[in-house]
Amino acid sequence: MNTHQEELTLKKYFQNIWNGIRTTIKGLSITIKYVYDVKPVTVEYPEVREILPEGSRSRLFNDAQNCISCDQCAVACPVDCIYIASKPRPKDAEKIKTSNGTPIRRELTQYTIDTSLCCYCGLCTTVCPTESLTHTTDHEYASYTIDQMKYDYLDPEVVAWRDRIVK
Amino acid sequence: MDSKENSGNGNGHNKYSGEKLKSELLTVNMGPQHPATHGVLRVEVKTDSEVVAEAIPHIGYLHRCFEKHCENIDYRGNIPFCDRMDYLAAMHMELGYCLAIEKMIGTEIPRRAEYIRVIVTELQRIASHLLFTGVYAIDLGAFTPFLYCFDQREKILRLFEEISGARLLYNYIWIGGVWNDIKDGQLTRIKEFCDNLIPELDKYMNLVGQNKIFVERTANIGIMTPEMCYNYGATGPILRGSGVDWDLRKKKPYSIYEELDFDVPVGEGLKGTVGDCWDRFAVRQQEMRESVKIIKQCLDGIEEGPIMGKVPKVLKLPKGEIYMKTECARGELGYHIVSDGGKVPYRVKAKSSCFTHTSMLPEVAPGLLIADFVAVIGSIDIVLGEVDR
Repeated sequence: MNTHQEELTLKKYFQNIWNGIRTTIKGLSITIKYVYDVKPVTVEYPEVREILPEGSRSRLFNDAQNCISCDQCAVACPVDCIYIASKPRPKDAEKIKTSNGTPIRRELTQYTIDTSLCCYCGLCTTVCPTESLTHTTDHEYASYTIDQMKYDYLDPEVVAWRDRIVK
Repeated sequence: MDSKENSGNGNGHNKYSGEKLKSELLTVNMGPQHPATHGVLRVEVKTDSEVVAEAIPHIGYLHRCFEKHCENIDYRGNIPFCDRMDYLAAMHMELGYCLAIEKMIGTEIPRRAEYIRVIVTELQRIASHLLFTGVYAIDLGAFTPFLYCFDQREKILRLFEEISGARLLYNYIWIGGVWNDIKDGQLTRIKEFCDNLIPELDKYMNLVGQNKIFVERTANIGIMTPEMCYNYGATGPILRGSGVDWDLRKKKPYSIYEELDFDVPVGEGLKGTVGDCWDRFAVRQQEMRESVKIIKQCLDGIEEGPIMGKVPKVLKLPKGEIYMKTECARGELGYHIVSDGGKVPYRVKAKSSCFTHTSMLPEVAPGLLIADFVAVIGSIDIVLGEVDR
């Protein structure tokens, strides 16, 4: 038997009743302070939206103009959710650079991130040499089908987010 | 002959006579979907509808092949997978893994990173025990403490979101140090949080721990003697609740725990016998106070400096193996890493404490009422992510 009972005497019977009343009053005196004059901690979403801190790791954004197709993010990703395809630029094209001075030698033909597989670990953003791949604080992007969760970062609609995200 | 047997009239030959009736135990699944089993744990309970005669746990509903995945992904990429084992105390999982690898390659970790790691780990221990308090009370039917504890826990998770970027699965403790630095404003807020927490802990002890109904439901229930704990290999608050003074932070210290001054709470049987469910509850409450002490000492002693040691860009471990054990919120967590010299580990085995604790259920269960059985499962604080990996 893993339980242990003591015998019940008359004195214990009344002690039990007194202990029950005493501890219930102790507990009630704690909870009754929450009836009046306490500010609720509820955030009334969606009328009130909480602002996430800056470093918060939510949806990814890749600035395709600044991407040099180095494949480091696809190699670093532990769940392989980044699909990259690129081809070398022709030799006689003009030389262009990214915003921090790295020359762009390859042209990006496909850059898709499957957000439904992404585990939001942040390893891809650490290895990006030009910081074109960053985490944003967008967290409201639920979709009806799982195919809509594949984000193509060369699509003009997605490129238009650049105005909001990149400073 | 047949008609006489099925007739149902009382002349001693019907099948409902006293000699032919027997009672059987009823096998019921306390199934994988259950609000009180803390995850997807299936316990096959043989009961005569009130008292449990036998309980057999079945696990494996949350197996996600963590150890097999680790053989295909390099050392740094394994840290997000380690988080997801015990998702309620993720910092402990990362710390154990990183300490194992750092011991094997022998890097020097900067002092500031050590202090930040201890602060973050102890905050995570407080968060895990706050969740335990709330959820244990709600298992036994008390709805109020759940939201009080989660209010405090929410403050910790917001701090973690500012420091590391995520609320629950951090990928913050890296091999060689930590990822981001903590700013001074955040340190002040950690100090404020610790100062506000002690009166709240007193409140929870008065509201839940001293309440007569809670005491009746948890004292003298599910007694685990020290001999039973040694036989099964129980560690953590279960072993300490049975009266044994064993804490890996004191007996086999790692990181900077040798320089810190704290006590190890041990169960004393204040409300019943030593080793019952109330003792395990009280040990965890006391551990939260000790964690606050540790955090305050670290906040006073934190030094300036770099937060990341020297680790080669392409990390290859030397051939060999290592077993590193640390004290996580639920017991002893061990990582056994075998390396054959490449970029990818050969084998990673995680020894989880909840797995051994689940194996103690068949011995503790016989003779308990079903409601007491729920109290015992709650008091061992299992998280199925760690059991199944």
